[in-house]
Amino acid sequence: MLKPILLVEDNPHDLELTLIALERSQLANEVVIMRDGAEALSYLLRTDNYAGRADGNPAVLLLDLKLPKVDGLEVLKSIRETPELRSIPVVMLTSSREEPDLLKAYELGVNAYVVKPVEFKDFVAAISDLGIFWAVLNEPPPGSLRLKRTRQHDDPI
Amino acid sequence: MSTTEAQDLLDAIDRCAEEPIHIPGSIQPHGFLLAVDEPQLRVQQASENTQHWLGRDARTLLGQPLSTLLDTDRIQAGLAALAEDDQNPFHVGDVSFNLDGGNERIFALMAHRRDGQLILEFERAGNTRDAYDTLYPLMRTFVTQLQETRELLGLCQLAVKEVKRITGFGRVKAYRFDAEDNGLVLAEEADPGYARYLGLCFPASDIPQQARQLYRENLIRVIQDAYYMPSPLVPPLSPATGEPLDLSFAALRSVSPVHLQYMRNMGTLASMSISIVVRGRLWGLISCHDAEPRQVSYQTRTSCELLGRILALQIEAREVETLTQRKLELRQQIVRLLSAMADHDSVVEGFRQLPDVALAFAGAHGAAIISAETCEAMGETPAYEQIMQLVQWLGKRREQLIFHSDCISRDIPELPELAKHCAGIMAISISHLHAHYLIWFRREQIKTVEWAGQPEKQVDHHSGALSPRHSFERWQQVLGGYATPWEPVEIEGALELRNAVLGIVLRKAEELAQLAGELRASNKELESFSYSVSHDLRAPLRHIAGYTELLSELEGSRLSERGVRFLENIADAASFAGTLVDNLLSFSQMGRSALRLSDVDLGALVASIREELAPDCEGRQIEWQLRPMPIIVADAAFLHMALRNLIGNAVKYTRTREHAVIEIGAEQHLGEVTVYVRDNGVGFDMQYASKLFGVFQRLHRMEEFEGTGIGLASVRRIIERHDGRVWAEGELDQGATFYFSLPKLAYTPLSS
Repeated sequence: MLKPILLVEDNPHDLELTLIALERSQLANEVVIMRDGAEALSYLLRTDNYAGRADGNPAVLLLDLKLPKVDGLEVLKSIRETPELRSIPVVMLTSSREEPDLLKAYELGVNAYVVKPVEFKDFVAAISDLGIFWAVLNEPPPGSLRLKRTRQHDDPI
Repeated sequence: MSTTEAQDLLDAIDRCAEEPIHIPGSIQPHGFLLAVDEPQLRVQQASENTQHWLGRDARTLLGQPLSTLLDTDRIQAGLAALAEDDQNPFHVGDVSFNLDGGNERIFALMAHRRDGQLILEFERAGNTRDAYDTLYPLMRTFVTQLQETRELLGLCQLAVKEVKRITGFGRVKAYRFDAEDNGLVLAEEADPGYARYLGLCFPASDIPQQARQLYRENLIRVIQDAYYMPSPLVPPLSPATGEPLDLSFAALRSVSPVHLQYMRNMGTLASMSISIVVRGRLWGLISCHDAEPRQVSYQTRTSCELLGRILALQIEAREVETLTQRKLELRQQIVRLLSAMADHDSVVEGFRQLPDVALAFAGAHGAAIISAETCEAMGETPAYEQIMQLVQWLGKRREQLIFHSDCISRDIPELPELAKHCAGIMAISISHLHAHYLIWFRREQIKTVEWAGQPEKQVDHHSGALSPRHSFERWQQVLGGYATPWEPVEIEGALELRNAVLGIVLRKAEELAQLAGELRASNKELESFSYSVSHDLRAPLRHIAGYTELLSELEGSRLSERGVRFLENIADAASFAGTLVDNLLSFSQMGRSALRLSDVDLGALVASIREELAPDCEGRQIEWQLRPMPIIVADAAFLHMALRNLIGNAVKYTRTREHAVIEIGAEQHLGEVTVYVRDNGVGFDMQYASKLFGVFQRLHRMEEFEGTGIGLASVRRIIERHDGRVWAEGELDQGATFYFSLPKLAYTPLSS
């Protein structure tokens, strides 16, 4: 079973477009959706509504920077401060490159960030790159197509 | 006069000024003198003429207790009452000597202390009652009249009349010393037959310095007979001090032979002078002369001295009054000028609005205000070049707050041309840093001085001693090159104005600083506003673009051709709006982020930009003329953006040219580097040149040349962040040249 991708996005349009982009990148991972930072933390820490969920961290966290209740930076901070969550790769989704909070995100240990491009094509490309890198390459799940391809590449028979 | 003669004269004047007139070693013989020690009251020195007055050889008196000569009990109280700090002789009483053979028996005794000696002077006793009866009423009337007289001349006139009445001298005149100590006769009363000197000027050299000093301390001096034979003191040196006896305050002090000669030359045999001392300065003299020898009793002298003191006080009061009046006037003028400056919010403008006040303030004929690049002149002033030369000259004396001169040819010999146009200037510097001045000009005042005789003494060629001039004939001198001197009160007023103006300038600077602070704050606010607006705009644009694309993907085949075109337009518009927002964001970023200075190789930068622009140049014929470029210090990323914008524009606006020529070069000037990008493209109309660098300013229709209208604004912002300037030259359809100049910056390289 592939680890899920956790997507935290409050804007419904962005959510829909991101999901389409993920879909198009043909990632096999399940996508878990959280609509604000507090909910995301509950999920990760398995508290409140998510107290009963099965053990395990997501393969990657796609985290919008601006979120209601608890914003992206705070979520990131909590993750980096919690030993069990610390190793989760976090990719920050931002609206523009000029985001002053980006610097803070780096200080807090974000793994990558994606500026959501205006052009949808570009967005799809960015998301699939991300997915491939973080969801697959970093922790290759056994038996995945791309894993095989990588293996072949690494170890040509 | 030949040079040698002139030198002789100067030497003689020096000797004259050195003559120790306070220790002449002798007295005038109309009385006699005893110097006694205290408290023993033994005679230490005596004037030789005791022989004449007392019938006793002076030597026989030496060492004698005073009590053996006269009844000391009678004067004991008077001596005890002598004030320690008053050195003027005081009438202790009339005394009679217990001696036989003297000419007189009753003497008026005047006593004063000097150098630890009690100096006793004996003169013929007058009739005290008579003196009291005549002097008191006269003085009373005089004082009342003095108080009623406002004018200086009137005061002097009154004093002269009164002194003449009291003393009976043939001619009494009052004169005032000018700044150079020449004495101008202001008032005169004279009997028929006496030469008149009213309005004439006596040269300063007539009264040597040490005599002036003595006049200042001892307010009265009498010479009863210019032909007197001085009576020496015996012994010549005071046994107590081993020095000659100091006779500064002695009424009988013998005077300089030069002075006696002067008197005889003037045809006067008796003289008396009363000093007018105002605020410690010898303001003037009341000078009395008579063709015949004349006795002046101590009562008369005392009255005259008192009169002199009263007169001095009155003069001081008038002067203070005049001064206060002038000060008040100056203040009012300063206030008017300042309020005009405040109203117009400008020092220069304030002056320009009130030329009359600006001139009257300093009693000037012309004035000029010099600030950074402007020279505002009013009234009668020298030409611009001369004023600027003067400013340069003043610039070397920046530490001086004020400069004034009533004779430019004398005080600024470097600027002869200036001296041709005005004679007096007063300049105040109104900035610590810059050459900002207020300058007043006064025109030449041809001064005619009526000297009472040519103001040159002559040297007696036999003795080398100064021989006083023989001629008191009028002699007229015309003095050129001088302006009316600047009065101390005017100078003070100018300094006061300076401080007030500086206050205004400083306050303005403060206001500006505050304004700049507020501007910075509101700029920052605007920037963060524009940032968040742009930021928030980006999301809906993204959604429009995304859904448009999805829509055309999913439903494109079912749409009409027009429908597809509309969708494409929507996508294009969203994409363009996205670019616009991105550019705006980076534009606002430029204002906010700090410059990271480093060495920037402009040549390499241009090369890399050309590479970036290669796709736009494809299929075009562009002739690149690349001039050598220097390495400068700047923010590499920002400069890249600016240059890319300019070169990109050059590529874009030459698109319609079959053969495009783009020239890029740099010129180095003193302290700055100017970079230019020249093209032979469509150019622009110079009347829009000022609009080129504004945000969203576009000179072309979208179909002709695409663009967001932010590019050049960004260039300007980047260059201005570097404290540089941007400008452009162009002509419609004739190409354009864009310039930016950067000051040569320095940075501290980070140590690796």
